[in-house]
Amino acid sequence: MAEKKQARLTKVLDYLKHDDPFSKGVAFCPGCGLELLLRFIPRVLGNDIVITGTPSCSAPVLLGQNNQSWHTLSYFGTLMTGAAANATGLARYYRKAGIDNTVVCFNGDGTANDIGFGNLSGAAERNEPFIYICYDNEGYMNTGIQKSGTTPFGATTTTTPYGSVHKGKNLRRMNLGLKMAMNKIPYTATATLSDLEDLARKLLKAKEAKERGFCFLHVFAPCPTGWGADPANTIEICRRAVKTNYFPLWEAENGRIRMTKTVKKPKPVSTYTELMKKFNHMTEADIKILQDDVEYEYCLLGGLSVLEAECQLPVSAKDQGEAS
Amino acid sequence: MSSNHYFKHEGPWSDAGDPLMCTDTGDWRTKRPVVDKEKCIFCGFCAIYCPIQVMEMQSDTHFEANLDFCKGCGICAKECPKGAITMISEGEFVS
Ligand SMILES: Cc1ncc(C[n+]2csc(CCOP(=O)(O)OP(=O)(O)O)c2C)c(N)n1
Ligand code: SF4
Ligand code: SF4
Ligand code: SF4
Repeated sequence: MAEKKQARLTKVLDYLKHDDPFSKGVAFCPGCGLELLLRFIPRVLGNDIVITGTPSCSAPVLLGQNNQSWHTLSYFGTLMTGAAANATGLARYYRKAGIDNTVVCFNGDGTANDIGFGNLSGAAERNEPFIYICYDNEGYMNTGIQKSGTTPFGATTTTTPYGSVHKGKNLRRMNLGLKMAMNKIPYTATATLSDLEDLARKLLKAKEAKERGFCFLHVFAPCPTGWGADPANTIEICRRAVKTNYFPLWEAENGRIRMTKTVKKPKPVSTYTELMKKFNHMTEADIKILQDDVEYEYCLLGGLSVLEAECQLPVSAKDQGEAS
Repeated sequence: MSSNHYFKHEGPWSDAGDPLMCTDTGDWRTKRPVVDKEKCIFCGFCAIYCPIQVMEMQSDTHFEANLDFCKGCGICAKECPKGAITMISEGEFVS
């Protein structure tokens, strides 16, 4: 009986080869997507990684307090303005010293897309040998839920409130993943927490690809506290983000985009927005704007993946030189 | 989790072997996940999706939450394909 039961165990468990380096009781909100992601990464990649990151929701746990820490990994806390520059230094040092390990620059969307974008962009251009992971909770959560460049149209945050004048964010969100893929770095991918096998495969692929240079992962990680969502719905939100094409899953090797999951009949984006209070106030016309935006971006992505399969890749892009 | 020197190059000043901080997150919980052993098909979905990774395997038959740290978010109950997990108010367990 027991054996028959065992056969059904989810394959995701096979990817969790390493110990969880985190203390069991750490201060993330219940249902936080970031916590699941953070515990997942070292269990897949191994504990011999060096993480660097900036002030954000991840920092209180990653940095530790006073003389003590919440985990046994090596962590280097940096300023928001210089995350990727610091990771560059670490990765180059390890390479020069002949130490074989993986530098993971782990930041929120506020750092990756806004405040620290300059040096992220520079590291991508120079093709530095490390993995940059952006967990996207669509805002500056740690400082009290302000809007960021990846906050979607219509969403309320403390700086884009709903009232008689403002109706949530009146700008469209930026597409960070696509922006990075266009740099033709060795590996770019999007991932989310409902598709953990996909995420694990992409992490392992990035670990391999970082030998050839810069890798970027854009991971959609819901924040129940900031989004006004039921903590129990964290995974369901990710799932619906994928099923509505709000957050499509793809990867790009040297800039060549390939969908890793295609949704046959995408659901209307309202099936996604209904799960969060931050979209509660939106009228049908508002939802339509968001829907159009989602469809436009998906169309662009689909077009790029077809076009790039047809185009010949320039030799220079095939094997970019090592960072000097 | 005491000695954790992953790198050969760990400096003598390293505190990697020091005990970790730990918060009593079980205390935050207002609802507790209770697993129906009969319904559980041992698929492990509750375990992989639990943000704290406290859904623990019990002798190859079912999973059970470690209540010392479970924050009671309810993800496991929501994701269980068999509906084997029920979130029950902590008040019910006060004697
Ligand atoms: C240059 C700079 N500007 C502002 C801050 C204040 N600050 C600290 S944490 C934070 C929010 C970070 O947001 P994000 O990177 O998206 O991570 P999250 O909090 O969402 O996890 C901000 C703005 C700072 N530390 N440095
Ligand atoms: S505010 Fe959001 S991202 Fe930050 S710990 Fe809480 S749930 Fe996680
Ligand atoms: S998700 Fe449900 S059926 Fe699967 S192991 Fe957990 S309790 Fe059992
Ligand atoms: S309620 Fe949340 S924290 Fe507790 S076991 Fe379930 S998923 Fe984990």
